[in-house]
Amino acid sequence: MLRFYTGKITQYLILLFLASTLNFALPRLMPGDPLLYVVGEDVTLMSSEEKEAMRTKMGLNRPLMTQYFAYMGEILQGDLGYSYRENKPVTDVIAKRLPWTILLSILNILISTILGIVAGALAAWRRGTKIDLGLGTLMIFLRSMPSFWVGMILVAIFGANLKWLPVYGAYSMWSDYTGLAYTLDILKHLILPLTTMVILSVTSIFITMRYSMINILGEDYITMAELKGVPQKRVKYKHAMRNALVPVVTVVMMNVGYMVGGATVVETVFAYPGTGRLLFEAVSNRDYPLIQGCFFVITLCVIGANIIADLMYPLLDPKVV
Amino acid sequence: MKTTNNVFRLFLKGKAGVVGLVILSAFILVAVFAPLISPYPPYERVGTPFEQPSIKHLLGTNDIGQDILSEIIYGTRISLLIGILSAGVSLVIGTIVGMTAGYLGGKVDAVLMRAVDLNLVIPMLPLMILLAAFLGPSFWNIVLVIGILSWASPARVIRSQVLTIKNKGYVEAVEVLGAKPFYTIVKHILPPTMSIIISQLILMSSRAILTEASLSFLGLGDPTQKSWGIILYYAQARSAFLTDAWLWWILPPGILITILVISFAYIGNTLEEIVNPRLRRNVGK
Repeated sequence: MLRFYTGKITQYLILLFLASTLNFALPRLMPGDPLLYVVGEDVTLMSSEEKEAMRTKMGLNRPLMTQYFAYMGEILQGDLGYSYRENKPVTDVIAKRLPWTILLSILNILISTILGIVAGALAAWRRGTKIDLGLGTLMIFLRSMPSFWVGMILVAIFGANLKWLPVYGAYSMWSDYTGLAYTLDILKHLILPLTTMVILSVTSIFITMRYSMINILGEDYITMAELKGVPQKRVKYKHAMRNALVPVVTVVMMNVGYMVGGATVVETVFAYPGTGRLLFEAVSNRDYPLIQGCFFVITLCVIGANIIADLMYPLLDPKVV
Repeated sequence: MKTTNNVFRLFLKGKAGVVGLVILSAFILVAVFAPLISPYPPYERVGTPFEQPSIKHLLGTNDIGQDILSEIIYGTRISLLIGILSAGVSLVIGTIVGMTAGYLGGKVDAVLMRAVDLNLVIPMLPLMILLAAFLGPSFWNIVLVIGILSWASPARVIRSQVLTIKNKGYVEAVEVLGAKPFYTIVKHILPPTMSIIISQLILMSSRAILTEASLSFLGLGDPTQKSWGIILYYAQARSAFLTDAWLWWILPPGILITILVISFAYIGNTLEEIVNPRLRRNVGK
């Protein structure tokens, strides 16, 4: 048990160390003036005295090792640098956007996990039938579509043509909804981005669940339970389902990074004000400190999600730890 | 051990694989003969901006009056090339890592597999965006960024294949006779792993095509060499989804990406079922 957790914690610490070191190294490794990556393209407008003053202010004249330790110290204090574009500390800019991505990601993980498990189990129970084949084909298609494109099509159909759902942002601007109306407004804005995210995430859960269920249904103890006359429903839900879920949890865990990363593209399509959209804006503005900050915070979120999954894991499968 | 001939025969039996191969061949033909097929040069203004589809421009024109159909036909080249090239890069790294880990075992294996685990936790797309943003938009930067960061899953598959081969008697025999590790790997472990490497290459190509589309859609692609993803980036930037233009500007590139990705996946999966002993065992179950 302890070894499982120390192993995991070491892994996450190494990841954080690598992510922050990469962020430190990138501007300094690139050809040209590192100042470009700290201040952005405005650097071309600065005089050489201003540049020099900026270098001193940012500590870029100090020895590399000193800079490195200072940088790591700042990160430990939650300081991710300064965005000259936004004229705010990077941490502040991201903090405002983070709740939206967390909302979107948690709902996505919940919904796609439940849908994937139900559909996967159904396909496995009806193995070889039209339902199984149909679900399988559908999943291959969903898996092969670019998620941003799915989003664009949904916008075109349900937003621009049918005008059923809002397609821009996370809430109506220039409106002062409160209470229930505000919640409903937010939910309406969630539907399309969330659908896109679920389409992106559900397939690997489905495939794992189906495969795992088929294997479990072939096990001797299931046959044994059936022979003993245990009702079929009980066999399905009590015996098979629980055991089939273990690999599914692993896959969900492994895919958290992929799902949260996928939010970048989906948020961009819907102008959803999360960290993913922020990353896109930062890329368009060549706001390098903000790009780095977004990457770092998204990594932190993924690690957080993994830790939650790690804590849940022993509940499902006592054998593992 | 399966001979190439045998693999080919088994492959033709699987319908999905053949369908995939036919589709992929069609795409390759379009890519190769793009200059002959496309009605206009893709990067020249040959009409007025935002023209609707007509006999002259079957898929209309884009925001600066370029023919969308020609753009898409040339885009086949870029999307296909980036996909295959970056899958190639990731397979070279993945093969080296997988072979080293599987063959040497012990501490080297433990460290390399740790790296693979790490690779699977990192939010890959944001990392790729970060690197691509710093490196700047270019064809080769996209290839490198995708290739260098996608070696983990092929490395794992190749490692497990190497482990299976290593446990067969003949590798040990060669070692006892004093063969150097490098010689043993190249002469005796690489050849029987080749079919798995190829099936992984094809599967990784399908993923790389999707990743490239995402990166290009975020504006990180090379605007002078437009892939399907970049065409969609411009369509999004000009809000094509708010008008009827989505039917000819947004729908076609996405459908083509989907079909191309499916064809790669069909070929790759069929191949893998044949060559990967672990999967084959489950086929008849």
